Amino acid sequence: MIRTHVGIPVFRDEGSRTPVRTLLAVDTPQTLIDLDAVSVRAGSVHILRDVALEVNAGEAVGVFGANGAGKTTLLRLLATLVPPSAGTATILGARLDREERYDVRPRIGYVGHVPGLYPEMTLAENLAFTADARGINREASRDALERVGLGGAADRLADRCSHGMQRRAEFARVLMTQPDLLLLDEPHSALDADAVDLVEALVARTSSNGGAAILVSHDRGRVASMATRTVEIARGTIS
Amino acid sequence: MTDRPQSTTTSWPWIAMAVAGLITFVASMTVNPDAIQGQLSRIMYVHVPSAWLAYLAFAVTMAASAMYLWKRDLAWDRRAHASAEIGVVFTAMAIGLGMTWAKPTWGVWWTWDARLTLTAIMFFVYLGYLALRRTTDDLHARARRSAILGVLAVVQIPLVHFSVIWWRTLHQPPSVFEPASPDIDTPMLATLLLAVAMFTVMYVAMMVKRVELARLEDEILVSEQVDDSVVAGEAVTAPLLDGGAA
Amino acid sequence: MIGFGAQVAAIARRDLRRERRTGEVVWVTLPFGAIALLLVPLAIGTDAPMLQRIGPGLFWVVVMLFGVLISVRQTNAETTAQRDQVALTGLDPAAIYVGRAAASFVLLVVFQAALGVVTLVLYDVPVEGLVLLPVTFLVVGAGLALLGTLAAGIVSTGTNATALVPLLVAPLSIPLLIGATQALEALRLGRSSLTWVLMMIVTVLVLAIAGVLSARPLQETG
Repeated sequence: MIRTHVGIPVFRDEGSRTPVRTLLAVDTPQTLIDLDAVSVRAGSVHILRDVALEVNAGEAVGVFGANGAGKTTLLRLLATLVPPSAGTATILGARLDREERYDVRPRIGYVGHVPGLYPEMTLAENLAFTADARGINREASRDALERVGLGGAADRLADRCSHGMQRRAEFARVLMTQPDLLLLDEPHSALDADAVDLVEALVARTSSNGGAAILVSHDRGRVASMATRTVEIARGTIS
Repeated sequence: MTDRPQSTTTSWPWIAMAVAGLITFVASMTVNPDAIQGQLSRIMYVHVPSAWLAYLAFAVTMAASAMYLWKRDLAWDRRAHASAEIGVVFTAMAIGLGMTWAKPTWGVWWTWDARLTLTAIMFFVYLGYLALRRTTDDLHARARRSAILGVLAVVQIPLVHFSVIWWRTLHQPPSVFEPASPDIDTPMLATLLLAVAMFTVMYVAMMVKRVELARLEDEILVSEQVDDSVVAGEAVTAPLLDGGAA
Repeated sequence: MIGFGAQVAAIARRDLRRERRTGEVVWVTLPFGAIALLLVPLAIGTDAPMLQRIGPGLFWVVVMLFGVLISVRQTNAETTAQRDQVALTGLDPAAIYVGRAAASFVLLVVFQAALGVVTLVLYDVPVEGLVLLPVTFLVVGAGLALLGTLAAGIVSTGTNATALVPLLVAPLSIPLLIGATQALEALRLGRSSLTWVLMMIVTVLVLAIAGVLSARPLQETG
């Protein structure tokens, strides 16, 4: 078991972060993801079928597959956003077929390939909403945007920002919330070299803090360098 | 694909419906007509039982919806749906027959009688219930949404009922268009009660067959959904370049 | 996790901020409602006494039918990615429901007030009930907000969602419609409006309870 301290983060100086106050000490199981014969259906077709996957703390797993292989659905399943149609799925110690799945959601950082920002709100306001919902100091949202290089665009409406900028803002959200489980869909999509370095730093930090990262992509070269291991997904099944 | 599911009920519901319908028809046609309304009064022996059946059906929908939310057993959802469907049909029948009777009797197709208004409102509520069930193929998602509406609709009905009653009470006391409530002749009353009983039998028979049909529909849907040969990713293949495979 | 009230406030703040930026209620829905009030006399005649008599009722009908657009607008416009991020905040689904309804409530009260002025002008309706009228606006606003938010949650992202919500809301909003019209009519006739107001309040409570209890099961259906 790994003991994780959940506190209010304060970004002091470059590269260092010290929780001001520990709110909760959570015993995180060593195995963070445990999928056993998990299937996901949409209507009359399977998207995932008999998926087995075990991810332990400290790992960064690259998941590769072609279009339509089920990568995004797998990631949303791991984010507890999609219920399994069959099989047993345990994420951060919570079974996905039980109410406890709601309790682990704040410990998950999910960056989809489509940004989930509100276009009529600024980048800072979008992150501030997450900060408010999590009970995090609002200043942390601006700090996070600064750290990802969007300090100058914090007050720009999200729909006035490029796709790449919006993705950076999503990573800023992850930086702010410090999840135990980091789920990235096409992590390099629309990002420049600097932002790619940011993603790598995020993945490394999550793993080293006792969490885990899942990186879903069809770009093997870039993701393989960040991952501790890789798996292939094809036609809804992991091989 | 598995074999198509088979019906397991006998034909007694069809027989029951036919017999009940026949009894109602014979009784309503043999009883003496109303002294004032004449042959038109025979509509009452179908109109009134239809309205009774509608209310019964919606009450059953509510109960079955509540049971689904408690037990999460799709059998209860099928019962709720079947009952709502039957209720909507008979509500439409009650309204239609009522209008048919009203025009020659009162000179208008519709009055804002409290009971009529409430019945019309309920018709639209449960029409919405049926429309809601068409929005998704996910059995449990459909059941959950429908059950919540099924319970909410009935909880709201008393509020609608009282609001309409009070509204009518304040606005229009019985007028020339409001039928008086005469004492009903005993043979007519007996025929009416018999018709109500027969319609109740028909309701039970329809429920048996409709729930059976719903079970078969769901089994087909489930069998399609667990068809191991269908995986979404199989629809994606490598693109063809220059006339050949990449 | 923050308290329930703080969660409700976070959602309501978000929705009101979004509305302030898009201006959909003020610049689209409100003018649409005003146009509806304008169209009726064009269709049925401009006899002043008749319009004065039917004006209040027409106002409430427009509020019921168009008000539902206000309470469902943001639920329907939310993308899957946005819904995912809200779900991952860990906010209580009941708090999300109440927060959404709270934002809609504020907008519905504004909507009624503005449309009320339009009705006063177009239909020459005398202003009566300086206490009862605001109370009615508040109760109707709360009821429509709760009902519309619940209906939007029930329909969610299913087929024909946009058209289905008004179909579900309209019949169930009848106690609010009758209560509002009759409360003010009773006042005009010198009778007590208390029964009608109480009936509307009971309706609001029923909807609030139903919405809160349904919030978590309905989040699953997304």
